[in-house]
Amino acid sequence: MRRLGVLVVLGAFALAGCGGNDAVNAASKVRCPAAAAAGWQKLANRVDAPVFCPSWLPDPLDGVIGSRWNNINEVSRDRSYLLSWVWQETGPGAAGGEKHVNLRGYPGRTRVPKCVNADSNKRELIPCFSDAAGTVRVGGRTATVYNVNQDADQWHVLYAWRYRGSLYTVSEHVAPPFGYRKVRQNLDRMLRGLALVQPTTA
Amino acid sequence: MRLTRKQMLAGAAAGALSAGGIYELVDQLSGEAPKRAAPPSQRPDEQHLLDSVSVIVDNEVEVVVPPLHHQLLTANVRADDLRAAQRELSEALDELDRTYEQTPAGLGVTVAYGLPYFERRVPEAWRTHAPYDLRARKPALLPAVRFPSDPHETLLEENDVAILLRSDSRDHLAHAAGVLDLDSLDVTSIRRGFVGGGLPKKVSMAAGIPGADLVPASAQLFLGFTSTQKDALGPRLIANHETLGFVDLGPKHYFRQGTSVHVSHLFEDLEAWYLNFDFRERVATAFRPGQPELREGTLTVPQPLKRADSPRGVRREFETQGRIGHSSAIQASSRLQRDHVATDGTVYKRGTAVPQRADFNTLDNPFDWSSRSDVDQMQPGPRAGLHFVVFNPSSDDFHRNRRAMDGVLPDGTRLPLDARERNQGFNSVLRTTHRQNFLVPPRRHRSFPLAEL
Repeated sequence: MRRLGVLVVLGAFALAGCGGNDAVNAASKVRCPAAAAAGWQKLANRVDAPVFCPSWLPDPLDGVIGSRWNNINEVSRDRSYLLSWVWQETGPGAAGGEKHVNLRGYPGRTRVPKCVNADSNKRELIPCFSDAAGTVRVGGRTATVYNVNQDADQWHVLYAWRYRGSLYTVSEHVAPPFGYRKVRQNLDRMLRGLALVQPTTA
Repeated sequence: MRLTRKQMLAGAAAGALSAGGIYELVDQLSGEAPKRAAPPSQRPDEQHLLDSVSVIVDNEVEVVVPPLHHQLLTANVRADDLRAAQRELSEALDELDRTYEQTPAGLGVTVAYGLPYFERRVPEAWRTHAPYDLRARKPALLPAVRFPSDPHETLLEENDVAILLRSDSRDHLAHAAGVLDLDSLDVTSIRRGFVGGGLPKKVSMAAGIPGADLVPASAQLFLGFTSTQKDALGPRLIANHETLGFVDLGPKHYFRQGTSVHVSHLFEDLEAWYLNFDFRERVATAFRPGQPELREGTLTVPQPLKRADSPRGVRREFETQGRIGHSSAIQASSRLQRDHVATDGTVYKRGTAVPQRADFNTLDNPFDWSSRSDVDQMQPGPRAGLHFVVFNPSSDDFHRNRRAMDGVLPDGTRLPLDARERNQGFNSVLRTTHRQNFLVPPRRHRSFPLAEL
């Protein structure tokens, strides 16, 4: 399996077809769950930018920052963030599997970032998200679908959208118990259920 | 019955599968059979040739349109009286000849024999007449071997007989299989599949194969790219034992106009391919690392004679890019490295392909049916794969090409690539389950060769 270095620079790959408007009206009825709200508010304040709190993730993932399933909670110096929830179980058939969802934000930038291709002998930079496979419009929000993704989103399907000059993504791992089709359904539902959280600090 | 997309997604396909088998979907999803030219007046002396195969142009490249349906049977010889069995099989094959032209619209029948047949059934005659590969200094028919990228569990088979049936009509295949259901043959496996633009996605989606949604809509093969472009297939007689002159046919040229065929099965991990390799990397992996930029979504990538790769070219690209492409690595062995004048005077230009591919997509897991389900590790449910069938002048000629696919080049260079690593062409998404080499006798000796001597 390919291992990739950290994403390092913003690339020249424009995000095609993403909604860059304030299209959160349909989502305005969606609320960040009470158990998760404080954590997402804290994140919005920390990055000083709007963030998207998931009101639904595949069970048992909960979207609560600091919960037992939240394995990554990282904010970089450039204010980009990565939140990850993962459930893993070994066992045959339905008893085993992995559910893994990442949410990212890149405040103040809208281009697809680049990642270091660790399989290249030349520290080659490649787009972190590639193989765009059209767009989806869910809950008033338009996202580009990327099938080939790097770093923590490897083997994930990723939805990316722009909001007020920033890039946001949600991705899910294609692995048992979920095949590609089910992951797309999950992502549609996650996209529909994102609640906007504005920073409250001056 | 045609299935709509909605019906497929709603599970109508599941009903079709249980009712008539997964390959019934091919007819339901493919629409009309391809248009074919009229058959020639005379059958070829070679069993492995198919006439009236149509050619279309895609992305300014001539692409051969293979038969829609494929079936391969393997069997062991049950008969005590081999000469009686020879008559029985001969009559069955003659009946099929009387019924069908040797064309995709009719029926292609190719009967091939494994080393166990020759060594156990006709050992003395085999010692006299076995073709010998002078270039390899080995018999032209070799036992199958595992290649560097094969897993340890790849099964090296020992069937006596393989019968390849090809047609645009599934009914023709079913009829032929019935005619060839003979007392003298114990069928050991049945392998089925299909080839046709757009079918891999449609059929695999209907069958619920993981990753099916990611297969390009018009792809000919599960992995996306078109394999049957004319320049990548050997011309008509080039795969015959005698054409390139490196096979000694023995005292009576018994196997003249025969050839060698390799039969293998491999699983293809569609999700690994489409979720880990973006289009640019899929092109580099399938063709060559230095492949000029292509329009995203291109499926037919020109592989002309003049751009055929050489061992030196593959080495150079590996040194600069750290990887090899599937096609370019194989071309270092499978394409003529210089102009060649054949024994019949035909001039084959440098870059001409030697192998004649007859591979087909399959959802067998790993076979449609096996008499040895434990040995063959038969599993329930469909799974994406390929029955790889290719005609070469000798087993060694195929082995050279297959080794090149792993980075072991014909000039002796062994590129430092781990088995099935990401930089070793397609290998990281393939898993070979079975292999065997066979000899295809000419038509006149297609029924239990050497039994009459």
